[in-house]
Amino acid sequence: MSQALFSLRGVVKRFEQREALNLERLDLEAGVITVVEGPNGAGKTTLLSLLALISPPDRGRLFFDGHELPRSGSQLTAWRRQITLVAQQAYLFETSVDKNVAYGLRLRGMDRATREERVAQALEQVGLAGFGPRRARRLSGGEMQRVALARALVLRPRALLLDEPFANLDPASAQVFERVLGELPGQGCAVVLVSHALEQAHRLAQRVVYLREGRLVPEDGHRPGA
Amino acid sequence: MDFFLGGLTRGLGLLVNLDPEVYGIAWLSLRVSLSAVILAALAAVPLGLVIGQKEFVGKRFLVVLFNTLLALPTVVVGLVVYGLLSYHGPLGGLGLLYTPGAMVVAQAVLAFPLITALVIAAVITLDNRVGPTALTLGATPLQAAWAVLKEARFAVLAALAAGFGRVITEVGAAIMVGGNIRHYTRTFTTAIALETSKGEFAQGMALGFFLLVVALAVNLASHQLQARWK
Ligand SMILES: Nc1ncnc2c1ncn2[C@@H]1O[C@H](COP(=O)(O)OP(=O)(O)OP(=O)(O)O)[C@@H](O)[C@H]1O
Ligand SMILES: [Mg+2]
Repeated sequence: MSQALFSLRGVVKRFEQREALNLERLDLEAGVITVVEGPNGAGKTTLLSLLALISPPDRGRLFFDGHELPRSGSQLTAWRRQITLVAQQAYLFETSVDKNVAYGLRLRGMDRATREERVAQALEQVGLAGFGPRRARRLSGGEMQRVALARALVLRPRALLLDEPFANLDPASAQVFERVLGELPGQGCAVVLVSHALEQAHRLAQRVVYLREGRLVPEDGHRPGA
Repeated sequence: MDFFLGGLTRGLGLLVNLDPEVYGIAWLSLRVSLSAVILAALAAVPLGLVIGQKEFVGKRFLVVLFNTLLALPTVVVGLVVYGLLSYHGPLGGLGLLYTPGAMVVAQAVLAFPLITALVIAAVITLDNRVGPTALTLGATPLQAAWAVLKEARFAVLAALAAGFGRVITEVGAAIMVGGNIRHYTRTFTTAIALETSKGEFAQGMALGFFLLVVALAVNLASHQLQARWK
């Protein structure tokens, strides 16, 4: 097995004393689509925020690409730029679709010509060619979700985290998502997908991880310690 | 009724006749109040952003404090700034008392809590996903804060406009620290107070009318800015 892109060791996340996540050991590989499943409140979104480095763990160690990451601080931005998250209900900025998708590229100082090319390409990928000038927050729910995916894809991240990407999507759009996501492992991207849409998720998944009450349920179906 | 009509026609007359003294007063009022708003905003906008976004103990107290400071009478602010800038005061060495600079300071102190309180409200009511979204797309914490400010731009500009409205209309502080010196520290409001005390009601009305026109122009300009900043 290759070296893991993410390694979590003894990671604990609490909200007001309640443990939302407690992972003794979890490794996520590059070039693999991992699907995270579990009932509501199992800690799936919490796990993705942690992996996106926007919500530091209260305890434990987090490694990315073999480097131990600090909990906070300015060095985190450089690591964060290799990872991106499409949230459960993605927020689009109050501006055009183009500017939304270009946002991350601008932050990375990419020149305008390359930016425009990559933005157009990403919109095309999610079936939104020609949507560039439209106001992002006036789009339909499914269209917004596709913009959010394009905004993440355009960054060509090493890890793409997706929270319920199939919610709100019509069958045709879901198919587009499936096809686009299916291409990512070949490019070495680690995809972590949280989904209740089990059919699609299982078609894509190279690995399934079960969470319950913030803990991993071993893949053989036994609860830890049971 | 003569009183209002006369004031209005004289106000129009002042506008079109380019009365140099009145234009001087208008220009000073505008300069002082805009400078005060910019000065106050430099501190109030970042502070409001931090207070609105961060969770910390004492946050509620700070919010209540800033809301309370809105009730500060302008003469009290004038008195405090007067005390600070007066010859024997701690900042007396700056020689600012009875200059336009003193009025800028006093008006900035007045605008500061108002702009801060309104920016806090703007940030608190803004969707709390903005900051995290910016971060996941690669923003530094500072760039994420800028994204928050940009998403709240309409409310933030409204806060600045409210600050401007508060300071260009106030008279207490301007008169105390500016001294209403002709051709030097005489603003719209101090001039109106003077004309009224002299019984020159129509002249006072005329100036009041002119003040409204200036305020309208400033608000139109800021509205243009909002429309373009997309
Ligand atoms: N910001 C927060 N403050 C307090 N509690 C939180 C917070 N975020 C999550 N929690 C709690 O942590 C637990 C895990 O939440 P999480 O959102 O990770 O669940 P989930 O697996 O994504 O559920 P769903 O399938 O409903 O999206 C829940 O009990 C939730 O109430
Ligand atoms: Mg969730």
